[in-house]
Amino acid sequence: MDEKDLFLADIRKSLGYSAQDARTTQECASLFASADDAAVLERIQYRTHVEKQALLKILQENAEKINLDVQPVKSLADAATRIVEIVEKAEPEFGHTKQLIQHDDTVLAKLQLWKRFSGKAVQVHTAYAVDSQVREKSIASYVGLTAPRWAVAESATIVELGEPGRPRSTSLVPSVHIALIHLKDVLAELSEVYAMLRQQPPEHSCLFISGPSKTAEIEAHMVHGAHGPRQVHLVVVDEQLKEAEGLRGSGLFSS
Amino acid sequence: MTLQAGRNYREEASKGLDNDCLQKSLKKLQNNFGKGAMEYWASMTDSGLRDRAKNTRMETLANLDVVLSTLAENVEKAGGHVYFAKTAEDAVNYCLRVAAKNDVETVVKSKSMTSAEIGLDAALKGSDIEVLETDLGEYIIQLAEDQASHTIAPCIHLNRSQIGRLFEEKLAVALHRRYPPNLPDCQKSTLRHKMLDADMGITGCNIACAETGRISLVSNEGNIRMVTTMPRVHVALMGLERVAATMEDHQGLLQLLTQGAALQKLSTYVSFAGGKRLAGDPDGPEEFHLVVIDNGRSKILGDNAFREVLACIRCGACLNICPVYGRIGGHAYLSPYSGPVGAVVSPLLFGINQYADLCKGESLCGACLDICPVKIDLPRMLLELRYKLAYGDRKWQTRKHDRGEALVFKLWRISIAAGPLYRLALRCGYWMQRPLFGRKSLLSILPGPAKRWCADRDMPSLAGEPFSRRWKKRHGKGRTQHGVKDG
Ligand code: SF4
Repeated sequence: MDEKDLFLADIRKSLGYSAQDARTTQECASLFASADDAAVLERIQYRTHVEKQALLKILQENAEKINLDVQPVKSLADAATRIVEIVEKAEPEFGHTKQLIQHDDTVLAKLQLWKRFSGKAVQVHTAYAVDSQVREKSIASYVGLTAPRWAVAESATIVELGEPGRPRSTSLVPSVHIALIHLKDVLAELSEVYAMLRQQPPEHSCLFISGPSKTAEIEAHMVHGAHGPRQVHLVVVDEQLKEAEGLRGSGLFSS
Repeated sequence: MTLQAGRNYREEASKGLDNDCLQKSLKKLQNNFGKGAMEYWASMTDSGLRDRAKNTRMETLANLDVVLSTLAENVEKAGGHVYFAKTAEDAVNYCLRVAAKNDVETVVKSKSMTSAEIGLDAALKGSDIEVLETDLGEYIIQLAEDQASHTIAPCIHLNRSQIGRLFEEKLAVALHRRYPPNLPDCQKSTLRHKMLDADMGITGCNIACAETGRISLVSNEGNIRMVTTMPRVHVALMGLERVAATMEDHQGLLQLLTQGAALQKLSTYVSFAGGKRLAGDPDGPEEFHLVVIDNGRSKILGDNAFREVLACIRCGACLNICPVYGRIGGHAYLSPYSGPVGAVVSPLLFGINQYADLCKGESLCGACLDICPVKIDLPRMLLELRYKLAYGDRKWQTRKHDRGEALVFKLWRISIAAGPLYRLALRCGYWMQRPLFGRKSLLSILPGPAKRWCADRDMPSLAGEPFSRRWKKRHGKGRTQHGVKDG
């Protein structure tokens, strides 16, 4: 018997079972019964554009409470403009050079930020899986740009799934985190994220981010940017909106 | 085992009462978080969530052997290692072995009460390994060589100028102003490169999920993410009870945890960690170790009277409402686990006799049960512990705690059962106390062995006219069977 068997035998003894005979999940099947996600998944799949816009509004309201900045835009080009504005306003916290690192993502690549920043003294890195210097580049960057999998309206949460080309550190080490997401990936509540995760369990890492890093450790004073980013911006692209009539001026858009 | 040798409940409690900064912080904490949590529970839309969560917690505990072996299997499938540690010593030795194998020189830690329970820091330092706490509160406690005084706000007993002075002394920095926002910045700039370059990260585990083989960690500062992302090795310590069977259970517990702890829908970060870095992964640990610790827990599990305390998710909500913790603070509990939950769990883990004061100090008001997200009946278990102390218990090796007190109560029981005798004794007592009390109704000094009783409280005087007589006078002969006058 190794230490694991002895350990579990002790537990079985405490629970009143025979110490020798290991039990299996079949013996407590109800505890491991899987949740029925069909209804939730259907709800997500058939959500209308108007419903999604309502979610965006809820997301904005909840984000405000936790100092997460939400910026709805009508196109990727607008998104790029908005990102450039945020980057230019921010000041490097450590060191003096202005460097940005972004996830290796097709949508982010389409922004062509390197073009926007050419001649502006902001260097753009992409976290390619083959690049052995991603770690150093992340540490040197003051802005991290990611393309999260989902956002959650109820808790104003960004869900990041890590994998090659998408380091966890991009949303952690730089002082400013910008996340770009499409409106279709905004979910209503956490249970929808869990249902989606059950459909496709992430092989690598998974992370929920709700707002900028903070601490209230000293005399209950809220301070942002404890060990993680001090600012988090979520840019939400709603391309359908360009065509949708009558929705302009609905107050959702800040420009 | 005595965790904090040389300290005792009484002294630490009176120090807490005298600490103005602590008193102010405790009041604020209880007013905001305690009251806030109660309001939230009363208004939450899914009002059955707490009961459901409690039921699944209890069902999980009842099948813990299966749940833990499923967890281990899934962690190993993802390339992680699982070690089952029977004792604190086993756990510490395992961590030391992992550190030695990986040539670890620097360890960064995120707040883990389990690591304090097993005494890991001292052992690491003894092996010439630099150990740094990264949670701001814990970092301050570490610098001050102090003890944590709250589950989620470890340094609430210190104010900005004490902390500022500490930073100036220990970090050799000159603070422009000891203004709260400067202090986290100061820690960040001091610790940042250490966190980025450390060899090993050590964390606790908030809730593991057996089905997925992932542990989850909540934080607001982001230090836990640093500790689990940047170093080569990640070691997570968990008490054997901190596990949910499925994702569904996990979700409910996670939301109750962050609401109960700090009224957050979710904490800023929830990270799921488990296996090792996979091929092509840009970051994350090359090695992941999960250390599952018993250290007395299976004994608690085996006792139906106390099993329930293992359902605790360490949210700290009971600290935010307890009138006793709210006055004396966390140091008096002499263990990393303070407040009402500490008063139950510390005696069970470290010895009921040595920790007898903890359960006797609580008021049994029931507030901790009301606020607990998983409705753990701490007051019942406090009584259970007192019972064991009063009558002795072989299994828990308690001896009768105070024979003198037991004798007094025995005499009292005999006399009260014999009505006239009791009334006579009261009458005598009333006359005998007169020289002591005079006209006062409360007395702060008593003679003889009763002196100790008055050290912390006043003694009310015996009434000139006993209750039974007053009752008779008011309700006269019209008493019914139920003792209430008709009409
Ligand atoms: S006993 Fe309940 S309220 Fe107290 S820490 Fe545990 S879960 Fe939270």
